[in-house]
Amino acid sequence: MSAMSEIPLPQTVKRAVPWWLLRHETMLAAILIVALIGLGALNNRFLTIDNLLNQGRLTTEVGLIALPMTFIIITGGIDLSVGSIVGLCAIMLGYSWKSFGFPLPLAICFSLLVGAAAGFLNGIVITRVKVPPLIMTIATLALYRGLAEGISQARSVRGYPEWFYFIGQENLFGVPAQLWLLLIAIVVSAIVLDRTTFGRTLYAMGNNETAARFSGLPVDRAKLIIYTLSGLMAGLSACVLVSRVTTTRSDMGIGYELDVIAAVVLGGTSIFGGVGTIWGTVVGLAMIQLLKNGLALTGVKGDATIVVIGAVLILSTLVASSLQRRREGV
Amino acid sequence: MKLGLAAAFLGATLLAGTASAADKRWDGADDLPVNPLACSAGEASAAPAAKPYDGGRATNAADKSGKPITLVDVPKLIGIGYFNATSKGMQEAAKALGNVTVKTDGPTEAKIDEQIKFIDNYITSGVDGILFAANDPVAIAPVLKKALSKGIHVVGYDANSTPDAREWFVNQAEFNGIAKAMIDSMAKEAGEDKSFAIVTSTFTTPNQARWIAEMWAYAQKCHPKLKWLETVEAQEDNNLSFNQATTLINKHGDKLAGLFGMTSVATPASAEAVTKAKLCGKVAVVGLATPNAMKPYVNADCVKSVVLWNPVDLGYAATYVMRAVVDGKLKPGATSVEAGKLGKLNVVNGSEVLLGSPFIFTKQNIKDFDF
Repeated sequence: MSAMSEIPLPQTVKRAVPWWLLRHETMLAAILIVALIGLGALNNRFLTIDNLLNQGRLTTEVGLIALPMTFIIITGGIDLSVGSIVGLCAIMLGYSWKSFGFPLPLAICFSLLVGAAAGFLNGIVITRVKVPPLIMTIATLALYRGLAEGISQARSVRGYPEWFYFIGQENLFGVPAQLWLLLIAIVVSAIVLDRTTFGRTLYAMGNNETAARFSGLPVDRAKLIIYTLSGLMAGLSACVLVSRVTTTRSDMGIGYELDVIAAVVLGGTSIFGGVGTIWGTVVGLAMIQLLKNGLALTGVKGDATIVVIGAVLILSTLVASSLQRRREGV
Repeated sequence: MKLGLAAAFLGATLLAGTASAADKRWDGADDLPVNPLACSAGEASAAPAAKPYDGGRATNAADKSGKPITLVDVPKLIGIGYFNATSKGMQEAAKALGNVTVKTDGPTEAKIDEQIKFIDNYITSGVDGILFAANDPVAIAPVLKKALSKGIHVVGYDANSTPDAREWFVNQAEFNGIAKAMIDSMAKEAGEDKSFAIVTSTFTTPNQARWIAEMWAYAQKCHPKLKWLETVEAQEDNNLSFNQATTLINKHGDKLAGLFGMTSVATPASAEAVTKAKLCGKVAVVGLATPNAMKPYVNADCVKSVVLWNPVDLGYAATYVMRAVVDGKLKPGATSVEAGKLGKLNVVNGSEVLLGSPFIFTKQNIKDFDF
């Protein structure tokens, strides 16, 4: 051991603070841990396995969509239609099963297909017609919600078979079933973003799309893939949501886009593109969900909780970005 | 090419959807069976057959009979006059009972997912009882059943869940009773053969859908010449309700003789739209609303009848029912329950406690109410 300490350290490691400690994600994780301890001290039911797992269950639907949203925001794009796609897919699941008479497994596949198609439509117009993602997905936010209401005639679908409730309500090895789904999705997304050419392409597009194009990267194909993926995951989220609440309504998923984007951006993904990690998004998700839950358990009322969350979001972003500026010496 | 395909695909899905639903009226009604009341007030309608208790049971609830209890009230949303009034009634009951603490907390928008999260959190934080007004009768059921399984008592008011997900439901007025009061008032004010439109919250909101279904059934039976133009959604949103009512007035012009407001937000907004359009006396407004919001329009003779129950009494009754459940005084099979200043309330429909007949506020009596 003593021999090892005599090896000269590289210059970068000799700095007072290791580089990874000043990363946005690390800072956020530290803030999260402090908040957890604080809230845990205020309420003895907060830091129980039961409660934390239950919060995982409740955050899965938003979490599933936040992963592809991280990809999209890294490229400098945005998808505001995800909440409406959740509504549309939930309706397509219920209606293809009840009205078209599809067997439920086929109805699930069909609703996932509709989700992917809705995302594909976003992608194709964004890449071919060059409509900015913000405009296109605001348009489809209205369009898909309208379709959901029109197709369903605003009637709910209920009475699914018992087995369908497994993914939304049951446990697998003591952990909520949908949380396994989220964990797998997180691992896959993290590997794709961090370890594949596709992942590097997304960063390159976010940093400088023109340069990425001239470097021969398949920019349009990558966009098409991530928007389709976003729609597909929104469809998956819809299935989990319908299973959890046992009913299909056309107003499902309203406002999800904001929850999703808040988690992604809080997790350190830059809205200008080029910067971001899946791990940051996961911390962002956990932060928002646990803060809401912790505050509610501590006796803060619903309307005050929103104010506190807003303040915390601003604060932690301020702290993180000022630290980042110091690190970069700007 | 690909774009065309995608559009064609979505278009086809839409067509398939509308085709399958084309035979139904898009009037915001649900598909449940209806039970219209008799046309004239004198005729007694057939008394419904007594139903056995069909509510749920809290498992292994702690015996808190006569002991202080903590309740949480999770309405559809907070910050509107109606649920402020039910909350006020709960505080009055808590004060009268002396051994009840009740806190109202809920989402700021009427969203089912948010409401479920609130209830879930209160199950974790530990309360003796949950009072709720459901945004969706089925979607709310799993989380209420979870509460029952943890020994927490569950009583609903205003908007029901599926019966097995709660122990009792305090029914403010029966749907067919409200429907009769609304349609009769409209036929009297606008005319038997006139056209009207409806401003509702959303087509998926259970109470509003139920009322509209009962109104349709009652109108078919007793006022068949009334013409139904359309039903529009306006959430529980003031501005949107006003805009929707104004659009209806502009769109249908002279044909429109009446507007129904199905929520405590839509009715005053519709009255305001009629006032702004200078159509008071030409377009009748009938609806569900709280008296304070309607006083200006009633006093200006723009609105003649406002249909409602007393929401303060509703919250008051729900709290008394919860106390009686905890004390073991209201058991399955009971036919009535004592509710303080309201006296004895009857059990109907298996596991519902009925508050009473709907109340119609007019220029003569509206000044006596303040909520």
